[in-house]
Amino acid sequence: MKLYSLSVLYKGEPKAVLLKAAYDVSSFSFFQRSSVQEFMTFTSQLIVERSAKGSRASVKEQEYLCHVYVRNDSLAGVVIADSEYPSRVAFTLLEKVLDEFSKHVDRIEWPVGSPASINYTALDGHLSRYQNPREADPMTKVQAELDETKIILARKQNSCCTVM
Amino acid sequence: MAETSEEVAVLVQRVVKDITNAFRRNPHIKELILSGTLHPVKDLHLGKLALTKFPKSPETWIHRRWVLQQLIQETSLPAFVTKGNPAALPAERTQRLIREEMEVCGEAAGRYPSNYNAWSHRIWVLQHVAKLDVRILLDELSSTKHWASMHVSDHSGFHYRQFLLKSLISQTVIDGSVLEQNPLRSEPALVLPKDEAAASTEEARINLPRLLEEEVEFSTDLIDSYPGHETLWCHRRHVFYLQHHLSGPHVSQAMEVDGLNDCSKQGYSQETKRLKRTPAPDSRGLEMEHRFIDQVLSTCRNVEQARFANAYRKWLVTLSQ
Repeated sequence: MKLYSLSVLYKGEPKAVLLKAAYDVSSFSFFQRSSVQEFMTFTSQLIVERSAKGSRASVKEQEYLCHVYVRNDSLAGVVIADSEYPSRVAFTLLEKVLDEFSKHVDRIEWPVGSPASINYTALDGHLSRYQNPREADPMTKVQAELDETKIILARKQNSCCTVM
Repeated sequence: MAETSEEVAVLVQRVVKDITNAFRRNPHIKELILSGTLHPVKDLHLGKLALTKFPKSPETWIHRRWVLQQLIQETSLPAFVTKGNPAALPAERTQRLIREEMEVCGEAAGRYPSNYNAWSHRIWVLQHVAKLDVRILLDELSSTKHWASMHVSDHSGFHYRQFLLKSLISQTVIDGSVLEQNPLRSEPALVLPKDEAAASTEEARINLPRLLEEEVEFSTDLIDSYPGHETLWCHRRHVFYLQHHLSGPHVSQAMEVDGLNDCSKQGYSQETKRLKRTPAPDSRGLEMEHRFIDQVLSTCRNVEQARFANAYRKWLVTLSQ
């Protein structure tokens, strides 16, 4: 089970703004890495644009599972994982990251920020730690899922990601 | 000789342009190896690099087995386990070879999901190079546990564990008489724990029921942590079957000898059919499984998980019919 990317975005109208991202593309062959990373950046933005505020969803794109959480204040997070990675843990991670991000980065910066301008460095550490869900989240065994979470496994209708 | 991943990628791209034929249709490679010009180990190394880019490549795996067979047949590679001295520890060179193959298979398995070719090769090595040495089987069982827990839908990985358990059973319980002669029961030197004290006081015994019990616990742990993976439920079926088949062999063999296998017997009576099946799993084991299913169904919110749990229940019911 693998996590490939973890991104924080702002759901602006009409476009989503990437604020910060961490990637782990080590499992891809050397020549593929930059295009895979581009694909993930693009997909994360697109998914946030297509998700409503105050929603959580899991979207299947090719062999990846993209978990998205858009908060009511338009702060959003996307985790791109494989199909083995438990979605519950992915959403725990997103919740935690967005919470931490909102405490570290002033709200006023969100609509106009970029990875270069935003000062938040914890993403790489989180991505690395959560590669092993059971170490990162000892509550993995607890079956209860968040009541308000609607996990939708939707195949993209318009294949927006034919980049790959 | 460690290459960076960039070096590997470039080397592989340049050298292995046609993976289908790189190891197959080139007659020279085999001639070179057979004539002693090309050392098999170098060829294995190139194969290892090729597998980083083409982890499934059947031609590469097939050629690899041919090379290993050359190495095994060479008189310079000491026979692994001779009939006369089953207690002999495998030669250092052979052990290294086996370890290397396990590593190559492991890497290839990580590069492609349910990499059947990699796992089959791994099994082949255990059968033909390691000769199903029990110590190695046990080591493999413990060392692949973490990998399996991180690849919960990799059916080939779990099938490998089933193979290991089955082989451990067959290597220690062939028939009643072999069990008595099993060198592992009489040679304290072969004890697996590193602990010296234990080695001197206890006979080496492989506690098969305990191993299977641990595998069931492992399965429970994974099913609870990662709901909705059919592979885990399939694995559980296999382990359960092995557990309850373990108590069976002597009994079922006796039954077969008991005239019911008589070829002259015409017709196919209900009775014959029933006795030829493995004996029914013990009721306590079944009861525990049903309780497990109940627990899963009462707490899970995953639709797939519920479906697999119900299918498992149905399967258990068919076992005792």
